[in-house]
Amino acid sequence: MSAPSTPLALFWADFRENRVALAALAMVALIALAAIFAPLIAPQNPYDLATLSLMDARRPPGFVGSGGYVHLLGTDPQGRDLVSAILYGLRISIQIGVAAGAVALTLGATLGVAAAYLGGRLEALIMRAVDLQLSFPPILLALVLSALLGQGRLQLIAALVAAQYAYFARTAYGAASAERRKDYVEAALATPLSGRRVVFRHLLPNCAPPLIVVATVQIANAISLEATLSFLGLGLPVNEPSLGMLIANGFPYMMSGRSWISVYPGVALIVLIVAINLVGDQVRDQFNPRLRR
Amino acid sequence: MTLSFRTGAAAAALLLAAGAAAAQTLTIGVRGGPESLDPHFSALGSHAEAAKHIYDTLVWSGDDLQIEPGLATSWAPVDEDTWRFTLREGVTFHDGSAFDAEDVKFSIERIPVVSGPTTTTIYVRRVAEVEIVDPLTIDIHTDGPAATLPYDFVRLFIVSSEAAADYSTPETANEGFNGGPAAVGTGPFRLVSWEPKGDLVLERFDGYWRGPAAWERVIRKEMPNDSSRLAALKSGQVDVINYVSSIDYLALQRDPSVDTVVGDSVYVMNLQLDQRENPPGVRAVGGGELDANPLRDPRVREAIDSAIDRETMVGIVLEGLGKPANQMMPPGFFGSNEEIPTPTYDPAKAKALLAEAGYPDGFEIDLYCTSDRLPGDGAICQGLGQMFTQAGIRTNVNALSRTVYFPAQARREYGVFMNGWGTLTGEASYTLGSLAHSEAPDLKLGAFNRIEYRNEEVDALLQEAATEMDAPRRRALYEEAMAKTMADRAYISIVQLQTVWAARAGSVTFEPRFDEDTLAYFIHPKG
Amino acid sequence: MLGFVIQRLIQAAAVMAVMSVIVFVGVYAVGNPVDIVIPPDATQDVREEAIRRLGLDLPLWRQYFLFVGGVLQGDFGRSFIYNEPVLSLIAGRAPATIELVLISVLCATVIGVSLGVYAGYRPHAPLARAIMALSVLGFSVPTFWVGLILILTFAVSLGWLPAGGRGETVLILGVRWSFPTLDGLAHIALPALNLALFKMAMMIRLARSGVREIMLTDTIRFARAAGISEATILRRHVLKLIAAPIITVFGLELGSTLAFAVVTETIFSWPGMGKLIIDSITLLDRPVMVAYLILTALLFVTINLLVDLAYAAIDPRVRSGEAR
Repeated sequence: MSAPSTPLALFWADFRENRVALAALAMVALIALAAIFAPLIAPQNPYDLATLSLMDARRPPGFVGSGGYVHLLGTDPQGRDLVSAILYGLRISIQIGVAAGAVALTLGATLGVAAAYLGGRLEALIMRAVDLQLSFPPILLALVLSALLGQGRLQLIAALVAAQYAYFARTAYGAASAERRKDYVEAALATPLSGRRVVFRHLLPNCAPPLIVVATVQIANAISLEATLSFLGLGLPVNEPSLGMLIANGFPYMMSGRSWISVYPGVALIVLIVAINLVGDQVRDQFNPRLRR
Repeated sequence: MTLSFRTGAAAAALLLAAGAAAAQTLTIGVRGGPESLDPHFSALGSHAEAAKHIYDTLVWSGDDLQIEPGLATSWAPVDEDTWRFTLREGVTFHDGSAFDAEDVKFSIERIPVVSGPTTTTIYVRRVAEVEIVDPLTIDIHTDGPAATLPYDFVRLFIVSSEAAADYSTPETANEGFNGGPAAVGTGPFRLVSWEPKGDLVLERFDGYWRGPAAWERVIRKEMPNDSSRLAALKSGQVDVINYVSSIDYLALQRDPSVDTVVGDSVYVMNLQLDQRENPPGVRAVGGGELDANPLRDPRVREAIDSAIDRETMVGIVLEGLGKPANQMMPPGFFGSNEEIPTPTYDPAKAKALLAEAGYPDGFEIDLYCTSDRLPGDGAICQGLGQMFTQAGIRTNVNALSRTVYFPAQARREYGVFMNGWGTLTGEASYTLGSLAHSEAPDLKLGAFNRIEYRNEEVDALLQEAATEMDAPRRRALYEEAMAKTMADRAYISIVQLQTVWAARAGSVTFEPRFDEDTLAYFIHPKG
Repeated sequence: MLGFVIQRLIQAAAVMAVMSVIVFVGVYAVGNPVDIVIPPDATQDVREEAIRRLGLDLPLWRQYFLFVGGVLQGDFGRSFIYNEPVLSLIAGRAPATIELVLISVLCATVIGVSLGVYAGYRPHAPLARAIMALSVLGFSVPTFWVGLILILTFAVSLGWLPAGGRGETVLILGVRWSFPTLDGLAHIALPALNLALFKMAMMIRLARSGVREIMLTDTIRFARAAGISEATILRRHVLKLIAAPIITVFGLELGSTLAFAVVTETIFSWPGMGKLIIDSITLLDRPVMVAYLILTALLFVTINLLVDLAYAAIDPRVRSGEAR
């Protein structure tokens, strides 16, 4: 094997050394693929009411339902095949996590870099607000906002963004303001017509590594938050259950011995979140020069 | 073990005699409690339930919400807007003073002054003037003909005009009643102590006019959490609990240490079909506009009715805790019609009717319902979605929090929706007058008719019934109005819900009540 | 210093004023509580009467000023649902939450720091790897799901501990606490563990990275070269240095754990403030929502203020407004 040369190849070579992270990455990819192609692999479209039957409701794993196939993980209280419901639920979770993460990243990075670049009163105002928001637990913000905004995907994403953008803003600000103080940036700023160049050539690229790390963690957090909100009944509408909703629907049945309704969607959720976090951990370690040998 | 719903009054009377001798304590774990010991403070069911232990009402509401003599032994209209109540003789308050017409007048006039936010003024809203004829006769003058006045009085608690005299302003009421001096009634128990949100401790009042209670002492513990209440029962902390969830109920049936009692509730789940020209959330397949509102076509409404499998709803969705419903009130209520046929599930007929109505490929609807108000509401709604979709009407189910649902429903943003309706008074003017009559604020009718349902015949029947003072004739009018309303199928009743109580095995017997009250006086020790 | 304190106090007051407007208007926008407070099958008369009694017929700005006027006199209004003064309602629920939060944060810190120090001290030992795996799990797995599994394992399958609710309480200094009774401890065990896991994972990570960084410094190398025993190194240098950040985090985490308790309390039906806020959101109990949010905001603003002042006391540069 030839020696890697580009930064990306170098990064990959390092990443490959951590087997756990590599396995986690493979798992994330596998889950993402399964979610994307859910309509092709799931035995049933759990959101199409025409294919559901109440006669199949709350059946244990292994039951052969009216559809003629085996419900490998059983069915939920509406007679949905849990394998299908989990695959579609993962789809919703990932969509919402990624969408919320992307919007929060854009918003947060813009605010952070703007504060670092512009300086002065605006900087103080933005960062003061961000710091204040950071001191509130995101769960509380998301909870209150989703109660205020009502149910629905867009509302949920908005609540998640509001709960998370501040982390991106803080991170971007930290990296950008450190760079902003360096002599060459000061010098570049002294020349005319260079504001945009400074932002795009110097400030943003330096923010990228920490932002990537925060983004991985925050996507996992967004997925977890979404599930929590749905569990508390403040998330998505019930007819297209996300993983959190599936878990919540099955919760009351736990005491009466029908735990599969809750447990399997929960396992899927956790495997996804743990895998993303493991990848995130490795990426962070690689970006942290102090821990590099 | 499940006790039968109706074991008869004879057995109860027998047990009463046997139990009277026993000196025992009954501890009840309840979901909610009184908000104060002033019976006139709140109209909430749990408040009235607690109040019924200490106070009596002028008119008694029986197990099936039929009206019976209470502190009044009889009543009759004197003229169009006057009712005369004859009061029970020889009734005494806990402090030994005699009950008479003065106490009734005092109680009625006190209500508007001391009522809290969940207002008790509804019980006296029709009263214009109270006139004492003699100590045991009282005339109530109403603001126009008020045929249902005796039903209003089932929660008219009578307090002592002497004991409560100084405690009848909003500032002093709670102090006087919660502290004790004013909390004097004619009920089966007298107050020992009360801790808000905690225990209400009562002791037997031996001079009770129905005869002394079986229990020397009654402790009513508030336990809002369903699983803690059940845990308290299992550990022997309490003898009886109310509101067992359907899921716990299944598990309890296998538990030999616990008896369960299932009772019908006043709640019926009704599907409501918008009769306006352009109902929101009703579309052609694929989202296009329809030429006309399909829900106005009786064949379409019949198709929807035929698509509903009520047996599956009860057996699977509610896990057995309900009954198929064919009208908006439970059977046996004043105005419920026994002639109404039980709807049959027939998906083939539903498809045929849709095709006949010009929708061979069906259409699309958004179905709205609550998901957190009554047991099983969201699940029933999703079940309906399946059934409609399979019959050819593509359905998007929106099971929403009641905080979203009711305001939007009031703004008429929904075209097809389902929610429970409880006939809390046990008679039809409450239900049909609000839902089936076309909207007429000047007549105080049709206030909850949010689908613009209008049937001239039904309107005429309901208006006639509202002023008909003769009870049998009024009942016939309501029965006819009910039959006509249900035949139109703008309201389609689906299931009647049931409530579950649980008790330590073999300890007590009691009859479930329609209003879901748990009343210590009517609970008897077993054996 | 006095100028700085006054400046920060004014800032905090301004933040609270803005927060109160946002909260009040926001909660107002959620929906009309009348449709929830009264039974949906009540008549029009009842409805209008309720609106008048709840003071909802007044314009928004008048409701706001009435509210602010009340708050300044220590009156947050009455709950629509419980019809109790909101403050006494919240105060009645507070001990349950406080004991739950204190016990879990304490457990999280003691166990988390010990495990973290070990993991940092012997980063390549198998036990250290296991600890780190545990911390990744604790960090990732949503609180509510851990709660479900705890219930399923210890309450349903094994039947060792109750699945929910608060146990027997005793009256101490006029407040009801459940931790001194055996029944109370049995009830608090699962929710406290549930709430502690996330914080424990955080403490493990914090302690481990602190220890690891310190162990690589020259001080430690010199100390080792000088023949000082490992135990003394740990005690004198490592623990002392990581103590300050851990205490800071402990303080900050108390606040955020209060908020996180919302989820745990819901799962375990713990009758605390978190359960109260969730119930009041679903029932649109406006006065309770507003009061809870404003009190929470006040709590965090106060914590922030104290942290700022503490930093300023330690580091004079902060006071000039330059360093932060």
